[in-house]
Amino acid sequence: MVNIASTQQEINFRLKSAPEYREASLAGLLSLLVAAILLLNAIWVEGNSFQPLLLIIGGSYLFFAVIQLVIWFFIRRNLLHHGHITPAVRRSGYLLLPAILVANVFVVIAGSQLIKRSKSTAYTLAVYTLLSTILTFAVSALNTLKPYVADYFLIGMALLLICAIFQLVSLLLLAKYKQEDFLPRWMYVVAAILIATAATGNVFALFLGIMLIAKIRNQGYTSGTRFGEIFEKLARSMTSMLGLLFVSFLVTLAITSMLTFDSSLAIDNNYSAILQQPSAMYPLGTDNFGRDLFSRIIMGARISLLVGVLTTVIPLIIGGLLGAISGYYGKHTDNIIMRALDILYAIPGILLAIAIIAAFGAGIFNLIIALSIGSIPTYARIMRANVLQVSSLEYVQAASAIGSSDRLILFRHILPNTVAPMIVQSTLTIGTAVISTSSLSFLGLGVEPHIPEWGNILKLGSAYLETHPYTAIYPGLAIILLVLAFNFLGDGLRDALDPKLN
Amino acid sequence: MKKNMKFIALLLIVSVVLSACTLKTKDESGESTTPSNNANVDQTPVDIELLGMSANEDDLNIVRDQLAKNGFNVKLNIQPDYGSFKTQEDAGNFDISLSSWTTVTGNPDYAVRSLFKTGGDYSILSDPEIDALIDEASTQTPEQYQDTYKRFEEALVFEKAYIAPLFNSIKSQAFNKEVLAADSVRISKSRSLPWEELEFTDTAKHGTDPLILQSTFPTLTSLDPIKGNDGSINIINTNLYVRLVNLTDDDKITSDGSLSLNHAIAEGNTEYYFILRDDINFAKVTDKKAVDSGERVGADDVIFSLNRAKDRNSVPDHRTYTLHEHINTVETVTDLAALDALKVSGSDETVRAALEKGLDVKISELVADKKDANNKEGKYQVVKLTTTTPFPQVLNYLAHQSAGIVSQKQVQAINTYDVENFDVNKDIPYGDQNTVTEGSQYNNTLYTSGPYILSHKNDYEATFYKNPAYMKGTEHEPRIENIKIKFIQDADSTLSALRSGEIHLFYGVSESKFDVVKGDSKLELQSIPSNAVSYLLFNTSNRPVAESADLRKAVLYSINQEEFITFYSGNKYKATSTLSPIVNTGLELKADAAKAKEHLNAYKASK
Repeated sequence: MVNIASTQQEINFRLKSAPEYREASLAGLLSLLVAAILLLNAIWVEGNSFQPLLLIIGGSYLFFAVIQLVIWFFIRRNLLHHGHITPAVRRSGYLLLPAILVANVFVVIAGSQLIKRSKSTAYTLAVYTLLSTILTFAVSALNTLKPYVADYFLIGMALLLICAIFQLVSLLLLAKYKQEDFLPRWMYVVAAILIATAATGNVFALFLGIMLIAKIRNQGYTSGTRFGEIFEKLARSMTSMLGLLFVSFLVTLAITSMLTFDSSLAIDNNYSAILQQPSAMYPLGTDNFGRDLFSRIIMGARISLLVGVLTTVIPLIIGGLLGAISGYYGKHTDNIIMRALDILYAIPGILLAIAIIAAFGAGIFNLIIALSIGSIPTYARIMRANVLQVSSLEYVQAASAIGSSDRLILFRHILPNTVAPMIVQSTLTIGTAVISTSSLSFLGLGVEPHIPEWGNILKLGSAYLETHPYTAIYPGLAIILLVLAFNFLGDGLRDALDPKLN
Repeated sequence: MKKNMKFIALLLIVSVVLSACTLKTKDESGESTTPSNNANVDQTPVDIELLGMSANEDDLNIVRDQLAKNGFNVKLNIQPDYGSFKTQEDAGNFDISLSSWTTVTGNPDYAVRSLFKTGGDYSILSDPEIDALIDEASTQTPEQYQDTYKRFEEALVFEKAYIAPLFNSIKSQAFNKEVLAADSVRISKSRSLPWEELEFTDTAKHGTDPLILQSTFPTLTSLDPIKGNDGSINIINTNLYVRLVNLTDDDKITSDGSLSLNHAIAEGNTEYYFILRDDINFAKVTDKKAVDSGERVGADDVIFSLNRAKDRNSVPDHRTYTLHEHINTVETVTDLAALDALKVSGSDETVRAALEKGLDVKISELVADKKDANNKEGKYQVVKLTTTTPFPQVLNYLAHQSAGIVSQKQVQAINTYDVENFDVNKDIPYGDQNTVTEGSQYNNTLYTSGPYILSHKNDYEATFYKNPAYMKGTEHEPRIENIKIKFIQDADSTLSALRSGEIHLFYGVSESKFDVVKGDSKLELQSIPSNAVSYLLFNTSNRPVAESADLRKAVLYSINQEEFITFYSGNKYKATSTLSPIVNTGLELKADAAKAKEHLNAYKASK
């Protein structure tokens, strides 16, 4: 069937209608970019034992980028000529899957999406679930190149492997079902196992499991669950899914590193390995105390994530509650609470944090408190605005008219309808919280200097920026990627939750 | 599909099993730090609090690491600056405190007296044995005190473990060799950089271009030499005021470049003679330019300066009288025969012969009034200083910036207030930094006897001009007309400023930046062993370390100085106490994990 697009408008429409086209171009360009960075590094860094390996990986990225761009070209031609993608081109997606061997997730995701014509959200989530576990497994496996591994290394790796196998099985099972298909009841078992594997920190597995259960229970009663709907929209945006993939990967690493990483390599000084260039044994080099930067950055993810999440959750709850009360009751309550918060709002957050830490001393607990207090007013304001809007709706007036108590109205009827903007706001502020934590550590006000925390690592590295730049580049990159991941995720969530776009 | 899956699963399992066979876990590798199970001994780590400043974070981390590896659970207390560190230390909030000491006078007595003697300026110790050894050594000659100080170190470090020495630092400076002539830049073990000897590579620029140096502290404690002894003014006051003697680059006493032409120690080691030069006038500032005040620096100024240096009540906030407490009297000598009658300590030479050595014109007459002095005609001024006990090291203290010579006439004219009722808000003492700071309070009343005078300053820089009447026509006459000091707080920014040509010399380059400096072709790095020693000071009250020598020794033997040296790529030296850079006692601290464990177990048993 040949059905050639004629007008520019039609061309645009056809290209936009196929997400595979967009994904292929994004994956191709990102792989090309990574390939360029890797190859330039391999050529420029002299006297580096890692060089041939870097060259191979860079070369393979380039190889897959080229394949991806060729496929992109065929997709484009297909779309323009036929209006849809032909099965032959779809099958070429299998060519992209081996890219997992060099951790080229962009191409793998684009490939997995291309293979299936009609994809369910569950399928997409299952792909990301598996990718997240495989990436964690691969990164943890780099530890085998060290002189020794952590005592529980093998147990940890075995657990990861078992998770990966389960997730692969569920991916293959889910691939059979289309979005609108009913799921059989035994899928409960798959969902339960997936949720169990989420104990490694794999948030995709958790979401997938919950979504499956919701879907089975719903079985055709309604057009779909709210949860499923959000994920359906989120899954359409590759950037936000990549963001969530990075977050999930880091959470999994942070949790499994308790088994698979040896903390002494990250904390104990080793004077015989001071400022080593990146090598097989030290994939990201060592710092001026001979500590392995790779282990330090991985273990630093724990603190960065913990502080980032807690400093978001605490003000979310406190600020949300204050905002809800203030918005619902109004008048004097509103005035007193909001004016008090306005005073807090007038103090710059980071200055307040510095003052609190200076007064109560440095440490993780004080750090979390210091960073939390400053962002309470922001959440309170958002919550108050939402509550004001929702509480004027008819159903709330109806609830009030039949004599429901204030508490019931507030918590049952109003709050559930106001959380969406709060979730978006919190995803966006986690990134800021991570940066604030690192900034305070950089200023010497965060955690103790020997504790692996990204700001600490960056601070040490910054002194060697000129002579040993990798000591600053890698922790800096980790911070950038995490913040970027949360921001992409936040953007995607905002689009998915926005009622105007529904 | 199923077949595919089975194959993949099999492949993965096989590869994992294969790799597992060749992997070594931490326990197997023997790298494990968990001590072997010994049922009799308590294995719980001992809590210990380590206090330090964030500037010494690297050292703190190394100490923490070494203690943690020897059975301690280290709690770090890191303070952002010296002020808060000192507050914590004074409040006793530490078990061990990372301290450092620089013996700026180059003599061993200064390295121990105020630190370890009962009642010393910085001392928290009170031990009669230590006191007796310090006093005994202070009266001895270098040959004699080596053994006394060895006994002192044995008691202080090894028997009682009051301190745990870490390392001896080097002093380093970097300068732009395209601007400064390399052989004119001196680096000395103790003394500050003499500005008068600095030369540009292009000597034509001496009169036109300023030389730009750097300092960390924009607030100068005081420009009165006796009222400050800290980093903000030590280099400045050394170059503003001339002294009776100087230190050479390796800490020997010399009259070279000082107010005296020669000096001599008379037999008995309590009388010291100085013959003064007549070619230095005080400089003053008029319209922000340096001019010759016409007033000569003479014996009356020396007597006045040293008497106020030793008298703690001569000025409010006197910071340096303990350095000069050995001075008994200072007077002018007018009787030439008295010099003939005296012999030099340890020699048959007369004091007069020693003072005349190398002079073009021998002494024909000693004059009382500085205006009558004329070296070309043989009319000299001689100052005699006596000490309360035989104390040859007094000369080192006279080379310190606090013994700088000020103008009697000018200081007395400015310091008209009553010392006891001094009011900071009303009275303006001589050398107050506000009088040289641009603004409404500017009223420069300085009279300086040294090669340079401070004209004016603000928060960003200070401007100095050469003293127009300082040893004119000699090799000590200042070459460069105008020197500026830029105030840059951060070491990394300072290095950037040096590399960009914004400043010409950076004093105190950190060891971690040596590679950067060496890699820059226009910079030259100079370094020399210094008298700075870092050590751990144990708390002496209210803490377990105060009571238990075993606990202190467990810390002492956990310290591995080799690791510090490796960390600083060989740019630190071993030290046994603050004396180590000055006196070689032959003692050395060796890390000994077995001894550390033994003492730690003894401590646990005694609990």
